[in-house]
Amino acid sequence: MSHALATELEIDSAMTLNQAKVGCDVQIRLLSGPACERLRDLGFCEQLQVRKIAGGRNLICSICGTRMAISRELAEQVLVSPLG
Amino acid sequence: MTQSSIALSTIALIGNPNAGKTTLFNALTGANQRVGNYAGVTVEVKSGETYTPHGRKIRVLDLPGCYSLRANSPDEKVALDALSGTLPGEAKPDLVVCVVDASNLERHLQLTLQVIELGLPCVLALNMVDVAERTGLRLDPAKLSEELGIPVVPMQANAKKGIVELKQALRLPLPVASEITWNSEGADPEAARRDFIIRLCELAARRPDAHQQTLSDQIDSALLHPILGWVFLIGIFFTVFWAIFSFAEIPMGWIESGQGALAGWVSSLMAEGDLRSLIVDGVIGGAGGVIVFLPQIVLLFLFIGLLESSGYMSRAAYLMDGVMAKAGLSGKSFLPLFSSYACAIPGVMATRTIDSAKERLVTIFVAPWMSCSARLPVYFLIIPLLLHEKEGTWKQALVLFGIYALGTLTAFVVARLLRGRLGEDITPGHFLLELPPYRKPQWSYILRHVLDRALAFVKKAGTVILGLSILLWALSTYPKKDGVDDAEALAHSAMGRIGEVIEPVVKPLGFDGRMGTAILTSFAAREVFVSSMAILYRVDESDDEEKNRSLLRDQLSGSKWPDGRPIFTPLALVSLLVFFIYALQCLPTTAVVAREAGSWKWAIGQFVFMTAFAWVASLLVFQGGKLLGF
Repeated sequence: MSHALATELEIDSAMTLNQAKVGCDVQIRLLSGPACERLRDLGFCEQLQVRKIAGGRNLICSICGTRMAISRELAEQVLVSPLG
Repeated sequence: MTQSSIALSTIALIGNPNAGKTTLFNALTGANQRVGNYAGVTVEVKSGETYTPHGRKIRVLDLPGCYSLRANSPDEKVALDALSGTLPGEAKPDLVVCVVDASNLERHLQLTLQVIELGLPCVLALNMVDVAERTGLRLDPAKLSEELGIPVVPMQANAKKGIVELKQALRLPLPVASEITWNSEGADPEAARRDFIIRLCELAARRPDAHQQTLSDQIDSALLHPILGWVFLIGIFFTVFWAIFSFAEIPMGWIESGQGALAGWVSSLMAEGDLRSLIVDGVIGGAGGVIVFLPQIVLLFLFIGLLESSGYMSRAAYLMDGVMAKAGLSGKSFLPLFSSYACAIPGVMATRTIDSAKERLVTIFVAPWMSCSARLPVYFLIIPLLLHEKEGTWKQALVLFGIYALGTLTAFVVARLLRGRLGEDITPGHFLLELPPYRKPQWSYILRHVLDRALAFVKKAGTVILGLSILLWALSTYPKKDGVDDAEALAHSAMGRIGEVIEPVVKPLGFDGRMGTAILTSFAAREVFVSSMAILYRVDESDDEEKNRSLLRDQLSGSKWPDGRPIFTPLALVSLLVFFIYALQCLPTTAVVAREAGSWKWAIGQFVFMTAFAWVASLLVFQGGKLLGF
């Protein structure tokens, strides 16, 4: 299996940050969407761990020890996979 | 190179919002300036001076907090311009101090790498090491310095720890620009930076494996709880509101009595005449009318400062975002609109924390519809008259609540319509807020900030308001007629004549010319309405405010049109209430809006729109009510 295909399969099994369960630790797989540069600046980078603290209209997540509140539209652009 | 230019090398401070950049700037320069927990408090480039351990003077620039040098926002554009030396009047800095939050290296180092890539000599100020170590992070500044190739100074700017060590790093010769070791040929620079940072953090800033539950998390689990959070929010803001109302009354009483004493003293010194009238009624009365708002402004900004500095304000913005979205606004508009219930002036001034320019304009536009405290004397006069009761029953409280609700609802509807019309911002804004850890309030900064705001208010608004008060004084004094009482003199003055002229304008609303005149005088400040009505309807004034109002009410309920019908029918009173809910009868607000919105067009447009809206609303109430047979 080629590397590209493996990555693709992995992304297929990923979910958005919106779909992640509250209280779960997840790892960021991919950012895709118009605001992904902004998200990277805020620390939402590939490979980093995020804990989703609260869901709802705006999400709260903990990333590298900082709490960030981001809108659902932004969270939709963050693809994550469960840790472990 | 001349001696003076060597002596004045420039260093620039740069860092993410909330990295403690402004705290470090203050610690270095001794200048006092605001530290807010809201992202983006520093909007302009501030500069100050400091000295190295050898006594050499250095200029320090405090650049706006930014997340990257990609110039996404005006703030980041300014920072990038300053670093590349294209900011007008600023040369390229000789050294850049990158301020990073040690507990957040994964995020904050992004910016540092970008600065190093610009080829500028750089020193890393590893701030808030205490917080980082408390969360169990194991930092290795020496390793960090070795990998990045730049000096790294661990510090705690808020406790002034590490300042001397940082100054040591600013000695001549300044460090040279470091090599870029992470960027290999052809690779994506973003990805290269990211990989480098992750490797670096594994080496020099190891996190404990278990996710730690900090004190801030525990507080947040209560304050951001879906149900409890609202209880706390309402409780906290109700307390703030109550405190502003009740504490401000005491100094406001002092100011009013001081103003009265000063007016009395001047009156006793001067012979009766126009000059005395100008000084006593125009200047002292006008200036007093401004200063009397000061206690409310000071208290409001004190509480805002406390809430911001402790970290709660961004939680309130987070909670209120859903509610404010229904009005087309975001959580950041909550505070200014809330403040406007006390007084629209500090409310409008508090809109500075809103990032989106259009949202800020809309918030400024509707803020005066949050019923402010200056309207209360008018409501207290009219509501008992409407219900034929003495002051202070629960039915009156209900009507008062209805008045507040009507103003707020209309403001939300208009905000929504206006937001739709203005269109989206050029860069689409997403709700995005950092929730900083709870911190102990920094009193010195808060007090300094309150003082700045108070002085700004007195200086800038005071000049405009004073001018307008003198104008109003002149209009209600000239032309003069000798040997008549106050009411006739006012009727004879320009203001009285205007009142006569506008009677046809206010008659469809159910008001007579005298009410028209009283409304006109209330455009200086709403509470003037009550005293104007007292003069116009010839009520003898006594010292007790409540007794005054009750005397005035007796007089008003007996007033009749020339054909014998009573003037103050319930319908006319409701119409008057509606007018006061909607009309922007407050020149100080208009002056402040012009300053904050940066456009007299916006301020005058708001004034005209609100007055026209009030007129139409009153007209609909009165004429509609008459048709329905009230």
